[in-house]
Amino acid sequence: MTEEHEYPIENLAAYALGALEGPEQVRVESHVATCTTCASLLEQYRGVVGALPFGLDPVQPPAEAWAAIRAEAARRRPRGPGRASIKGLPSWRRVMWPVVAALAASLLVWNVVLQLELTRRPPGPEVEALARRPGRLVILTGTGAPGASGRLLVAIDGHHGHLATAGLRPLPAERTYQLWFVRPGAPTVTGGAFRVDSRGRAWATITVPVPLDEARVVAITEEPAPGSATPTGSYLLEAKSWR
Amino acid sequence: MQLGEEAGLELLYARYGGLIFTLALRIVGDPELAREVLQDTFLRCWDGSESFDSARGRVPWWLMGIARNRAIDLLRSRPHQARLREREQLAVGIGEPAQPDATASFPMRHAVVSALQGLPAAQRQAIEMAYYGGFTQTEIARELGTPLGTIKSRTREAMDRLRTLLWPLIEPQRGGVGRP
Repeated sequence: MTEEHEYPIENLAAYALGALEGPEQVRVESHVATCTTCASLLEQYRGVVGALPFGLDPVQPPAEAWAAIRAEAARRRPRGPGRASIKGLPSWRRVMWPVVAALAASLLVWNVVLQLELTRRPPGPEVEALARRPGRLVILTGTGAPGASGRLLVAIDGHHGHLATAGLRPLPAERTYQLWFVRPGAPTVTGGAFRVDSRGRAWATITVPVPLDEARVVAITEEPAPGSATPTGSYLLEAKSWR
Repeated sequence: MQLGEEAGLELLYARYGGLIFTLALRIVGDPELAREVLQDTFLRCWDGSESFDSARGRVPWWLMGIARNRAIDLLRSRPHQARLREREQLAVGIGEPAQPDATASFPMRHAVVSALQGLPAAQRQAIEMAYYGGFTQTEIARELGTPLGTIKSRTREAMDRLRTLLWPLIEPQRGGVGRP
């Protein structure tokens, strides 16, 4: 087992609990995105986390809570088409169908069945935790810096992300690394500048300035600090396709 | 998610509202704030502020995750008062396990309560501070005056033990999108 593997494993449990931040969080996300073993273990940890609320004494919300939610939901109408989306589902009705069916059955013995259902199917923060994982993964290879690599993790919103790199040489103060999104027929835009630590590693929060699919190349160059308006250096890390 | 059908929202609320409120109350320690979390959770679903990806999990887990994060945000927005209360709750919770109630016979609840009570107090504390208190590993170490490595070990050992005990109950229930 390599150090690259051991480190995320040590932090997987904390990650599942939402107790990691910054570079550690990014490193786990980056690792899990490409390691099925750790992804499987993380799934189990998430299942555990999702079950934790069942250890609490149940408390019913105030009776008027639903009325307030319903009123506010009604006030927020009309909703624009397509404002919200569930990937992989054709419609809200499809999401709701199993719930409707289960609830209809549960009306027979409302309290008991509902409690049983809640108990039998533990909810949890898994999806939310997963939502913090990247929506897209861009793997950068060291075309101009042999041995270097990078992972750009773009959040589901398409605008925020984390960049993890390894193998880049530390730079003097007057130089910096810079992330670029190269678009055909449009100006190249930057996602930000960053520095690497003494081991050549970097974890940076970045902004994705354009839709990822508009970019033809994602690249990292070396630039004068604090960064350039357009890339002046050659591509050190580069990606031309992503998922 | 093509929301808009009020009935759908109501069904979700009927099914998960109680559990979300319970979780929120545990985290924020205040019924009014818990109600705020509850409302915000469902309205975020309603207006599309949060998107559900069916490939990434189940609906209730998604809802609970929204609620937990919202509650932690509230907790962090009141750093002194709420966190002090949280610490007090943790201190009580660790020393005085909840008495079994009428629902303790339900398998998952019973299993979770038993599993948590079976953990060494220090491990349970690490888990509860992280999940319900919203503390990072570094913050837990600082709060307890304990080396970070020790906190990491406690967390991992606790989670591994919980995984061993609970995953066999959880895994068979994993199902399709609509199956919570």
